[in-house]
Amino acid sequence: MSLEIDRFSHIESSVQRWDPRIKILSLGFFIFVAALLKTIPVAVISLLIAIIIIKITNIPFHFVAQSIKWIIIFLAPFFFILPFSYPGEAAFRFIGLPFAWEGFRLAVLIFTKAVAIVLATDAVFGSSRFDISMIAMQRLKCPKVIVQMVLFTYRYIFVFIDEVKRMEKAMRSKGFVMKANMNTLRTMGNFVGTLLIRSFERTGRVYSAMLSKGYQGDLHTLVTFEAQVKDFVKAGLIAILTIAVFVTDMINIFHPAIKGWY
Amino acid sequence: MHIADGILSAPVLAAGFGGTAILAAVTMRKMEHEEIPKVSVMSALFFVVNLIHIPIGPTSIHFIMNGLVGVILGRRAFPAVMLGVILQAFLFGFGGVTVIGVNCVMLGGGALIAYFIWQLRHRFPLGDRLEMIFGALAGATGVFVSGVILAAALFSTGEEFLATAGYALAAHIPALIIEAIVVGACASFLKKTKPDLLVGQVQKGILKTS
Repeated sequence: MSLEIDRFSHIESSVQRWDPRIKILSLGFFIFVAALLKTIPVAVISLLIAIIIIKITNIPFHFVAQSIKWIIIFLAPFFFILPFSYPGEAAFRFIGLPFAWEGFRLAVLIFTKAVAIVLATDAVFGSSRFDISMIAMQRLKCPKVIVQMVLFTYRYIFVFIDEVKRMEKAMRSKGFVMKANMNTLRTMGNFVGTLLIRSFERTGRVYSAMLSKGYQGDLHTLVTFEAQVKDFVKAGLIAILTIAVFVTDMINIFHPAIKGWY
Repeated sequence: MHIADGILSAPVLAAGFGGTAILAAVTMRKMEHEEIPKVSVMSALFFVVNLIHIPIGPTSIHFIMNGLVGVILGRRAFPAVMLGVILQAFLFGFGGVTVIGVNCVMLGGGALIAYFIWQLRHRFPLGDRLEMIFGALAGATGVFVSGVILAAALFSTGEEFLATAGYALAAHIPALIIEAIVVGACASFLKKTKPDLLVGQVQKGILKTS
């Protein structure tokens, strides 16, 4: 399973060496600004910035492609719905349906921004070990309970995926085939129930083991963060780029978008 | 089922984060350390079950199961769903980072309302089928409420999304039916095999009973 977001955090690059706290803050700022852009050319610029960042991290393309795949699955309907449902006059008719460029423009804008954001997110969390990212979040005043639950959940996800695979194999070997009928659904209900019982029993044991080793609700770690000048230089660079992108979007250089197609 | 990045307007995104913060603060009040593993188990389960696809004709549909989280965790379902959504956004851009707030309110809100429906079962003496019927109702409620919130978020962003919102609501109908059957079956299975897992059943939690 390619869910291990930090699989390539060991690769050497200046993004990987970046202090995680500062990395999360500055790229987080970039991500939020990218989500608010309103014109396609500026969105394309932010996409280019995101591509450059992900290139610097040296994370292989096939890993990033996985996340882009999800974006395409989620956003493909917009390309089919928005152009045909946009209020206002239609440019032409397509199989009898009114096609509005404005709606198509909106779909392109949404898609571009989404890819930029996902690439930037991959760059943030793909370039540090996940536990270190989470400890960095805790240092950034993210509530302790939430950080711990995220860490537990992250661990359990891989355990459960293994469990699901094992149970699936058992069901298949007993002749179970997934179909769109009542029987399948009822079996799936029992499947989920069994998964639940097994998971709770397992985590109950893990928790008892943790208690017996002195767990009292705190995570102790040997990780220390030390921000250096170059960490702040990188942050400054991202901040300047982000503000430039935001200002370009705001001052409406590309505003004819209302009439034209971008 | 999730909203992706880059669609919603800034006020809607901000409202999502605000709503999530409020709901999280309310539902996580007085949470004890020993509850952390239990909530984490459910959010991991929510995450994994979301990956299971069921074939329907030419396409397939995946489980949402926020109703089931409500049935098992009660009001702690909100933090569990929230964590699941956060990890989905981090790990594979399922949804996205900027829409975490909206997605949490959407799916977690559905889980909370499913829990209220589930609790109503104490008022109906239906005998053996009680858990199955109310599990099904809770499963359907989870999907239904989420669908309504999704449509509302799309619509409040702009009128051009009206058709998309309607389409999204319609697309939820098969999910709603499937979810109702599966959660109903699961609830009645748990009632037979390990009733104390269900919220408001016998005791509070597995950690105390095992």
